[in-house]
Amino acid sequence: MAALAIDAHLLSGLASEIRRGAVIVTGTNGKGTTCRMLAGVMRASGLRPITNQEGANQPRGLATTLLAHARAAGHLPADDRCVGLFEVDEGSLPEVLAQVSPTTLVFTNVFRDQMDRYLDLDYLTRRWERCLRSLPADTTLVLNADDPRLAYLAADLPNPRIFYGLDDTGHRRGADHTSDFPRCPRCAGELGYSCVFYAQLGHWSCAQCGLARPAPQVRAAKVDLIGSASSRLQIITPAGEAVLETPLPGLYNAYNAVAACAAATAGQLPGGALPAVSQMAPGFNRMEQVTVGGREVHLALAKNPNGYTEVLRALLRDGRPKHMLLALNDRDDEPDVSWIWDVDFESVCGLVPSAVLSGNRASDLAVRLKYAGWTDADAARITVEPDPVGGLRLALSGAPEGQPLWVVGTYEALWQLRGSLRRQGLVSALWEV
Amino acid sequence: MTARAITVGYLYPEIMSGYGDRGNLAAITRRCGWRGIATRVRELNLGDPVDPDEVDLFLIGSGGEFHQRLVAADLADVKGPGICDAVGEGAALLAVGAGYELLGRFYQPSRGVELPGARLFDTWTIQQGADLTTASCTLAEARACRAIGDLLIHWDEGEELLVGFENHSARTYLGPAARPFGRVVAGQGNNGDGGEGVRLGNAIGTYLRGPCLPRNPELADFLIAAALQRRYGGAELAPLPDRFEHAARDAAVARFRGTRPGRGRSARVIPAGGYATAGAGR
Repeated sequence: MAALAIDAHLLSGLASEIRRGAVIVTGTNGKGTTCRMLAGVMRASGLRPITNQEGANQPRGLATTLLAHARAAGHLPADDRCVGLFEVDEGSLPEVLAQVSPTTLVFTNVFRDQMDRYLDLDYLTRRWERCLRSLPADTTLVLNADDPRLAYLAADLPNPRIFYGLDDTGHRRGADHTSDFPRCPRCAGELGYSCVFYAQLGHWSCAQCGLARPAPQVRAAKVDLIGSASSRLQIITPAGEAVLETPLPGLYNAYNAVAACAAATAGQLPGGALPAVSQMAPGFNRMEQVTVGGREVHLALAKNPNGYTEVLRALLRDGRPKHMLLALNDRDDEPDVSWIWDVDFESVCGLVPSAVLSGNRASDLAVRLKYAGWTDADAARITVEPDPVGGLRLALSGAPEGQPLWVVGTYEALWQLRGSLRRQGLVSALWEV
Repeated sequence: MTARAITVGYLYPEIMSGYGDRGNLAAITRRCGWRGIATRVRELNLGDPVDPDEVDLFLIGSGGEFHQRLVAADLADVKGPGICDAVGEGAALLAVGAGYELLGRFYQPSRGVELPGARLFDTWTIQQGADLTTASCTLAEARACRAIGDLLIHWDEGEELLVGFENHSARTYLGPAARPFGRVVAGQGNNGDGGEGVRLGNAIGTYLRGPCLPRNPELADFLIAAALQRRYGGAELAPLPDRFEHAARDAAVARFRGTRPGRGRSARVIPAGGYATAGAGR
């Protein structure tokens, strides 16, 4: 407890020394990617972002980050270009906001994730609303207009708001089982959609009270998904238009890019800097590409139903069969992997000719894929190999020469894989964070 | 034999499918499909009445407190009588978590008035500790009063343990007319008295999440057999190769015994269409 108290003191003291204040990004998915994109825009605007490492997103991790930047006297350098840019664990937001008053607070989305830890999405958003009441009135809230749980978050507060969203209805999809069907944030009525992008994200309105998705000030008017590796976005902000080329696939990364642009707009960064969202360092396992024994291997982190489903869709949207290694681990204290049953494995059945399943819950994944139809007829050749390194070897030997291997895994499973490969000298320094 | 078909009543698919509950529906429809038994899935949403002659097998899943409040009155008043009649005539039912709680006499939240139950089961449920609807407690406080973890039980119909996962802050108590579904081997179950769930004819209420049917195929087949029995007066079920399912269950039992599987075990290649034992053995 003493250490925690010292952390809290450190965090509030050091955070208040950042000359340009701090931007905080939170939500279930995309906070790390949004931060890395925003960091590119900040740098292109002449700022020096101080960022926390991915995963170090609870109060202690933030305090450690700031301490690493402090001078011997225990203070941050007096640099007018320094700005804080922190991704914050959605469950830890109240504890962090008790110590740090951000200039801008960005919310990405709310999906089911770690329900054994966060318990209930409505509980999570109520905790957020409660802690937002202690924010300074000039903190700008940057909100995803397309997520009904976020668009009207703490709507009675006077804080300035910037909404962002997707306007390219060419990417609409039908109702989606990965949605948990939130109700109207005002009257709890049933929501209708003129356009669903995925899960509960889209152009929504309440038939009962008329509440509707707010018109976003920052929006992606056009999204071109290019293959399994990149996208092009036409972004419209109050300051004008920008075309962004991002080295990331999928609609979920379009949301991350438009969130980063909205945060940049909130910070009054020059519009000309927005294309720098593409100047992002590769993140740990976020569509990382590495070479293992001369073979091309793509790594993607997926740890909840929406993230996993969108990663699969992004990888397989070109319709070309892909050989995969799927790695699933639980955590020692939280053995719930029921969320894999909310991943839409059904819709990509037949696109994966061979899959190696790995991680300490590989056998649960095998059952999931069997019930999704992957073992029916000749849909897929499935191999179970719980050891991640052995799994990678098998997957590489099972994929035809010249074809890349696509790895999708949970955090712990990918971490194990990466650690083992690094120890064996099989991967280059690109893997280092 | 002529083609057989059963009707599955899936209650509140949008509201009460919060914890992988669709996996239970998949287990029923797929295991029927592999045997040439047709399934018709009847989604039962808010306001839809229940025709007791139509549905052979009911499934109701779990949800948060908000979802529970949303469906409680509808379940008690609109659907309850039809469900009770159908179960009285032999229909099968699986209710998990919040769905189980709402099929008893009442549900008493830690604050506010009690929610009515559908009175299928002679049970009642009392929420302990933190009230999530006000968010006035910290995450640690909210977690402290919950039963969270693996749940393993014995049941009357099978030799094998049933495995699942529990995550609930409420305790369920059984009246004199009710008997538990199973006996707790690991975890908490109803209220810590050693009993888990409730069984009434072919209706089962339980805290086993996971979802429970894919990893416990014997339980899935019990429900399918009961549904066929009700519809056709007989229920022959061809055995299925359940090696994946059993491997996953064995892994859960091994976790309970403290031997976490998954490190460095040898692999086995499963040919297309085959169901070899997964590597995560005992």
